[in-house]
Amino acid sequence: MSTPARRRLMRDFKRLQEDPPTGVSGAPSDNNIMIWNAVIFGPHDTPFEDGTFKLTIEFTEEYPNKPPTVRFVSHMFHPNVYADGGICLDILQNRWSPTYDVSAILTSIQSLLSDPNPNSPANSMAAQLYKENRREYEKRVKACVEQSFID
Amino acid sequence: MAEQGENMNKSDSTSEPNQDELILAQQRQIEKEISDSIPLVGDKELITSLNNEYSADNIYLEKVRDLATKYKFIRRTRPDGNCFFRAFSYANIERLLGKPDEFEAFYKVAENSKDGLVKLGFQQLTVDDFYDTYMEVLKRLKNIENLSEAYKELHSVFNEQGFSDYMVVYLRLLTSGQLQKEHDFYSCFIEGDRTVADFCHQEVEPMYKESDHIHIIAACAALQTGVKVIYMDRGIGKACTEHDLPEGTSPTVHLLYRPGHYDILYQ
Repeated sequence: MSTPARRRLMRDFKRLQEDPPTGVSGAPSDNNIMIWNAVIFGPHDTPFEDGTFKLTIEFTEEYPNKPPTVRFVSHMFHPNVYADGGICLDILQNRWSPTYDVSAILTSIQSLLSDPNPNSPANSMAAQLYKENRREYEKRVKACVEQSFID
Repeated sequence: MAEQGENMNKSDSTSEPNQDELILAQQRQIEKEISDSIPLVGDKELITSLNNEYSADNIYLEKVRDLATKYKFIRRTRPDGNCFFRAFSYANIERLLGKPDEFEAFYKVAENSKDGLVKLGFQQLTVDDFYDTYMEVLKRLKNIENLSEAYKELHSVFNEQGFSDYMVVYLRLLTSGQLQKEHDFYSCFIEGDRTVADFCHQEVEPMYKESDHIHIIAACAALQTGVKVIYMDRGIGKACTEHDLPEGTSPTVHLLYRPGHYDILYQ
């Protein structure tokens, strides 16, 4: 019998296909519904524009009661993204709610790209540049955008 | 200590340890220790079994003695932040077993509850998932004719993590729905400048968030069931304090509250 987590992930996938939010996409990997690959397109009018950023989402059998582990595979320069691609985002940690689905996760990360929170930095260099030297910040981000084409 | 190992910074100047994951890993470790030793919902035990927890604590022993004059049994729940919702949900269904008419009435309330949530703006997809499981469990229990089989099934469903947690989530959603529906009333009880909706997203809907008075009152209203909470703490006096929630209702579920935790009581 399929577990609640797996059943729920099928629903999430169905919704993502039927009602895809703009600028994000995701799907389970070929042989394992518990590991998904996703892409977030850099939002317009931000330095991330035109970038195609890849992520992996790993679920446990406790989903949706516990959040999945989401990680950027593409190299990122962002105040709330760790060097290993881990993301510091409240809804993926202490503010997770079982009412969020994959679609909600991806759109939240997308809006984190537009609106970083430099007060809880995962990358202190990015946070500092974001606050004090926006030009340099944007330059470093643009470099990530270009690298995202090659990855 | 191990400074040398940490000097091998990879990539660039930006590699800080991923604190969030370290914290999460530690939390999971603690949760695992608890879940390995305490079932989600335990067996009925004699109320005097509480004495073992307080062998050298006269204030508590005195209060257990008082409690024992009113209640015969206790059923412990796992202290994972969901204890109120799990205990309430379990005890409420348990009291309905063997009372087909009351169960049927409750089933009808549950059946109609989803539309209210969707109307309030809850996402249909995610609500459906929890609602379907919730109704599936109620239906299964409703159709068991042999009473002792039904008790057994209830106990086994509530100890199966997948189902048990879904029962908790759906009650959390109903509670959130109740708070939002009556937001004018409940907003007076929320501290800080949070809206009722914010409060619900942060303190009611997420799993493992502990329950306060306000959660209990709203959960009672949502299930149309009264609760008596017996407070047992180190406060002055030999007797435990009692509260009927919502005020003025005659309670059908009895819970024992000790700071930070709820268990089920039986007369």
